[in-house]
Amino acid sequence: MAVHRRGYRRYEGERTGRAARLLVLPRFAWNQLMKQRFVVVIFMLALFWPVACMLFVYLANHRDLLIGVPADLTGFLNVNATFFVTFMNAQATFAVLLAAFAGPSLIAPDLGNGALSLYFSRPFSRGDYLLARMLVLLGIFAPVTWIPGIAIFLMQSGLAGWDWMAGNWVLGAGVVAGFLLWTFFVSLVAMTCSAYVKWRMVAGALVLGTFFVLAGAAEITAEVLEAEWPSAFNPARAMNQIWCTMLGAEPIPGPDALQSLLTLAALSVVMMVVLNRKIRPVEVLS
Amino acid sequence: MTPVIELKNLRVTLGRREILKGISSRLGESGSGKAIGLLGPNGAGKSTLIRTLLGFHKASGGSARILGFDCHSQTRQVLSQVGYMPENDAFIAGMTAVRLLRVMGELSGLPERAALEKAHEVLFHVGLGEARYRPLGEYSLGMKQMAKLAQAIVHGPELVILDEPTNGLDPAARARMLRLVKEMKQDHGMNIVLCSHLLRDVEEVCDEVVILNEGAIVHHADLEAERRANRRFVELEVSGDDAGLAEALKRNDAEGVSEGAGRWRIVLPPAVEVDVIWRLASEQRLDIVRLTHRRDSLEEIFLKAVGHIQSTPGESTAPLEEVVVDGGS
Repeated sequence: MAVHRRGYRRYEGERTGRAARLLVLPRFAWNQLMKQRFVVVIFMLALFWPVACMLFVYLANHRDLLIGVPADLTGFLNVNATFFVTFMNAQATFAVLLAAFAGPSLIAPDLGNGALSLYFSRPFSRGDYLLARMLVLLGIFAPVTWIPGIAIFLMQSGLAGWDWMAGNWVLGAGVVAGFLLWTFFVSLVAMTCSAYVKWRMVAGALVLGTFFVLAGAAEITAEVLEAEWPSAFNPARAMNQIWCTMLGAEPIPGPDALQSLLTLAALSVVMMVVLNRKIRPVEVLS
Repeated sequence: MTPVIELKNLRVTLGRREILKGISSRLGESGSGKAIGLLGPNGAGKSTLIRTLLGFHKASGGSARILGFDCHSQTRQVLSQVGYMPENDAFIAGMTAVRLLRVMGELSGLPERAALEKAHEVLFHVGLGEARYRPLGEYSLGMKQMAKLAQAIVHGPELVILDEPTNGLDPAARARMLRLVKEMKQDHGMNIVLCSHLLRDVEEVCDEVVILNEGAIVHHADLEAERRANRRFVELEVSGDDAGLAEALKRNDAEGVSEGAGRWRIVLPPAVEVDVIWRLASEQRLDIVRLTHRRDSLEEIFLKAVGHIQSTPGESTAPLEEVVVDGGS
């Protein structure tokens, strides 16, 4: 019978579990995000560099195709830790751009429209909500970060032989773990900005500002104080240092990986505190 | 039978202010399809009580249970059986009504297909069938209220909590909303908690009423019993010497108290008609300046409970149930 004819009946069937409910918001959010032109454009652009890196890997393993190319240029074709760190830095920038365009639409509209009371009056906690919102970002970051990263690693392994893989497994593990760390941090920044500022444009600008302004401020402070430690507050630099250590590349001058990791962890804690204060079904004015 | 809501010395403090001051009560019976009205002046603690039941606020003392589950330690079990219609605007920007209901249904644990089916079904039920593909931002206030009601019942909850459901509705929309609420309890066996400042809405829909004032329950009335008693309340204003009227009323099984200046409040038992007052006035040679009578008494109960009137004649015979008040200021 047609729905409009049969009238309302209470639902009495099976209920889904917590995992299925967690994926409800990401499913709908991904659908919405893929309708945003800027998000799609950045998403597509972010796939060019991995393709270029795959071509690099192919050429590095088929030097016979480069007959006539000077030896000092072909010597540059090495798939090593430096290559992966370079790849990761480029993709990390795209992740930040994606966060700036996709992040603000996640929490700000819910706060602006009082939707949180609708979510939290269901078997869906604040923790579930934050996790679901983070899954949205981790989901769109994955195809431009660790998935192409591991694809490149596997391609190199296939072309160079499994001995190479056994000897360089740390590169593959480092790419995945390094990207997961970065995307977690970027997601937190995007969610915090979205929760703090209700206007989407301002929230987007704030995401970019967090990375670029914070980077500038950290480096200027380091110069003024003639000290290295403020550089750890430059998130991109701090993460780069961590990646270099994880992948075994030459570390960059400045605070070491542990100091960088601790700084990013401290910033993450601050953002979690902000989220905990903002994501509430009702605001209590005391 | 498990009570729908069970409060035991519930205390809630927000900031440094104690909002609920140790309230205790057992309201409704699960599966009975009854409506409980929650009344009280502004700042009485109605919304805080609702939010505590939903787990939004943590109790600073005592406990609150819904359908046998503790609202704090068993929040998931509670919320899977509850539907909530908030007072304020609450929707997801850019979404159509059908999509909102689908999301809400799925978050309540309905499988994808069932959630979509229920979303359509409920929207037709509340009269938004034709507008279900329009973005919620384009809805009128009345339509938004209906959409909020729809999202509260999409998953077929055992208990529906409605916070000021008729706010901002025109008379026709208000009547439709109240009819839907009555259907929910009568036809679908849902228990309802209706929080409203409109006494007529509560009286029309509810079977029990709880009156809160300054963070304490000051009255709990069984409106069903009240209706069964079928008493009539008369407000009378006369000119002349009314000294003998009280005695005359008593002889006719009615009770009345003088408020001075010829004003009287009278309670007539079911068997006594209003005509008797005309007869008594004539016998006492009194001129009737004004006479109003009504069957409902909720306004009187409410005013008395919150301290605006001192007493109601016939109070000792009234089939009202006084409730335990553990707290209070």
